Amino acid sequence: MPGVLTAIADPSVRAAFREWLVRIADDELVIGHRHSEWTGFGPDIESDVAMSSIAQEELGHGRAFYEQIAQDEGSDIDRLAFGRAPHEYRHAALLEQENDGWEYSIVRLVLYEAFEVARLRLVAASGQEPVAGLARILTREERYHGLFAETWLTRLAGGPPEGPGRVQAALDAAWPDALGLFEATSADDMLLRAGVLTSSPAAQREAWIDAVRPVLDRCGLALPTAAAREGGRRGEHTPAFDRLLAQMTEVWRSDPEARW
Amino acid sequence: MTSGPLDRPDRDDARWERPLGTAPDVWAVFVQGRHRDMHVYAGDVHAPDAEMALVLAKESYTRRDPCVNLWVVRADQIHATAQTAADMFVPAIDKSYRFGGSYRQQRRVLQSSYKASYREEDQ
Repeated sequence: MPGVLTAIADPSVRAAFREWLVRIADDELVIGHRHSEWTGFGPDIESDVAMSSIAQEELGHGRAFYEQIAQDEGSDIDRLAFGRAPHEYRHAALLEQENDGWEYSIVRLVLYEAFEVARLRLVAASGQEPVAGLARILTREERYHGLFAETWLTRLAGGPPEGPGRVQAALDAAWPDALGLFEATSADDMLLRAGVLTSSPAAQREAWIDAVRPVLDRCGLALPTAAAREGGRRGEHTPAFDRLLAQMTEVWRSDPEARW
Repeated sequence: MTSGPLDRPDRDDARWERPLGTAPDVWAVFVQGRHRDMHVYAGDVHAPDAEMALVLAKESYTRRDPCVNLWVVRADQIHATAQTAADMFVPAIDKSYRFGGSYRQQRRVLQSSYKASYREEDQ
């Protein structure tokens, strides 16, 4: 069976779809690493376990998408995940930001999960097998991530006395980066024209706002008005990512040829 | 909650029953492995309310074994027999007539089919 990329005849569409797969995998890898930093530091043991578990699942999803590329190109999955220069990563800046308090991590999880579910649905509808099938399966796990995040958000935002203010501040801080999830590049145009994607980044963004608005409303949070902060989809990252990448790849870099 | 000696039933030999006396934020978690199985007590979680307790119980108690349904109940609603009442459960005369062999056999068959199906799911 040909891989998902080799099955695409047009080389520019193939390159654009590869870009999209890297984007998904990088988002999951980077957010998974950030979530894993809560292991041992969660607000209670149960949430610590749950957040760690979510971290493992996001890393697993990242791995699944890297595998699609690596199998197709006959390359090494660890090298793909850990062996690139910072500017070759395509995740959005939202995912690389430091965990600035539990409330920031929860707000980020709420915003990202709403995006992630919709994106997996797009991939599932792309007709590009076996990635489309993979996306359908992974959606199952995202449901719990969203549930966990929203349950926590409700409690934090309703927690007197300083809860609402701190959650609103975290939301205001995360918002521009969250809008950056929808940064459009030429890859999006190419895939739209080829009919692989059925929704433009702008349309995805509107649908995402419609999805998160009721959640934020229920928590008494105001929808921020700040503009998007972009760059991640083109490989422009913040210093937070340099630190993350150095730490995340430390073991792999000690011996890139090692088999773990 | 009442106060006084009843809160420390271990010191009160006469009392055979007591509330479990856990903190109000402790929830007992019951896991149902398969449809039609009984919910089985799996452990506790700390949570401010039932919804959060269910959310946290999912990751604490269903990561490895199969689960189709969860119950949570406030642990401070559970009443227990006192430790000192353990004698009450020990038979004093021969009660072998209670051990119907066929029941045991049935249970063994049920459990082995359960394990077999679990192995399949695990593959």
